[in-house]
Amino acid sequence: MGNRNGGLDGTQRKEEKEGIKLSEIVLRVLALLLTLIAAILLGLNKQTKIVPIKISPDLPAFDVPVSAKTSYVSAFVYFVVANSIACAFAAVTLALALSGKGIIRLMIIIVDLMMVALLFSSIGAAGAVGLIGSNGNSHLRWNKVCNVYAKFCHQVTASLALSLLAAIAFLFLVILTASKLHKTP
Amino acid sequence: MSSMESEKGTVVAPPAAENGNNKKCGGVDVILRVLLLAASIAAVVVMVTSNQTETVPTPRGPMRAPAKFHHSPAFIYFVVALSITGVYSIITSIASLSSMRKSKVPAKLFWILLLHDVLILGIVASATGAAGGVGYIGLKGNTHVRWMKICNLYGKFCRHIGASILVSLFAAVVLVLLVVLDGYSLYRRIPAS
Repeated sequence: MGNRNGGLDGTQRKEEKEGIKLSEIVLRVLALLLTLIAAILLGLNKQTKIVPIKISPDLPAFDVPVSAKTSYVSAFVYFVVANSIACAFAAVTLALALSGKGIIRLMIIIVDLMMVALLFSSIGAAGAVGLIGSNGNSHLRWNKVCNVYAKFCHQVTASLALSLLAAIAFLFLVILTASKLHKTP
Repeated sequence: MSSMESEKGTVVAPPAAENGNNKKCGGVDVILRVLLLAASIAAVVVMVTSNQTETVPTPRGPMRAPAKFHHSPAFIYFVVALSITGVYSIITSIASLSSMRKSKVPAKLFWILLLHDVLILGIVASATGAAGGVGYIGLKGNTHVRWMKICNLYGKFCRHIGASILVSLFAAVVLVLLVVLDGYSLYRRIPAS
């Protein structure tokens, strides 16, 4: 195909390959940074608030410090761990992708795929628990807590958004790596 | 034949062997897709039939209170996502079956399948995560924010939800295998032209 159409097609294909490689590196660096920031943002998330609590109607209210921490909610712990793993694998595959050929690419696809599944499941878990936190659930009498811990909840939301972007980056990476399988001999 | 393949790469693959291999891959592909269909139907049915009504203690005395899956948005998302997966698996298994009968399958088909399989994998994984996260709080409760556990009251409800989450986890694994298979099919039929 390349020989018949002469040198112009060859250089075009080379440029296209370079473009794919560049965009892959950009996507991997992006995924690495996003998962790193998301993990740190949620991992270090903590808010302590002074809340007046009334024990009995005739006594004055006590001021009690209450705190919200990521480690209190198992779904958030899972989220932080999943993002850390994805961050580590993004770094490893960034190194591998620079040198990889055929079969390594297939392995990289599998790793990227695992990361897509892992990140999406952690986003689902943290998002669902966060939704209960912000809206509560009247049927099960789980009260909302985001009116008390506003800053904590905002930080969770930001972390979720970043992680979602990272998951989409991994998704594009799978597609990009597959397109390389599709195109290059 | 194998030496010829290794010398010249996959450019001149022996047609007979490749055809047989294609058939085998196509067969596995169809089986996986049918498994995916079965898993998503099972997950949806088990989740939807999880209704349970029990007498529970409330601040205003004991009351009959039902537990239904649509009380939680996470479970609604789960049902919708798995239903979409079911419909998707019907469509793609028909496509995969019809492509098996042709002798030469265009690489574009695997490309399109891979693209959509990855998307559906993301949806199923997030649905499993969402339902799992809420289900875990239902099982263990959370003392820090005073969300009490409900699985001691609604045993059947929780068993249904747990089973449904397990089945959808299986569906996610099947989807990962499907994407790998699509990728492998693409990898084997390089020079795609």
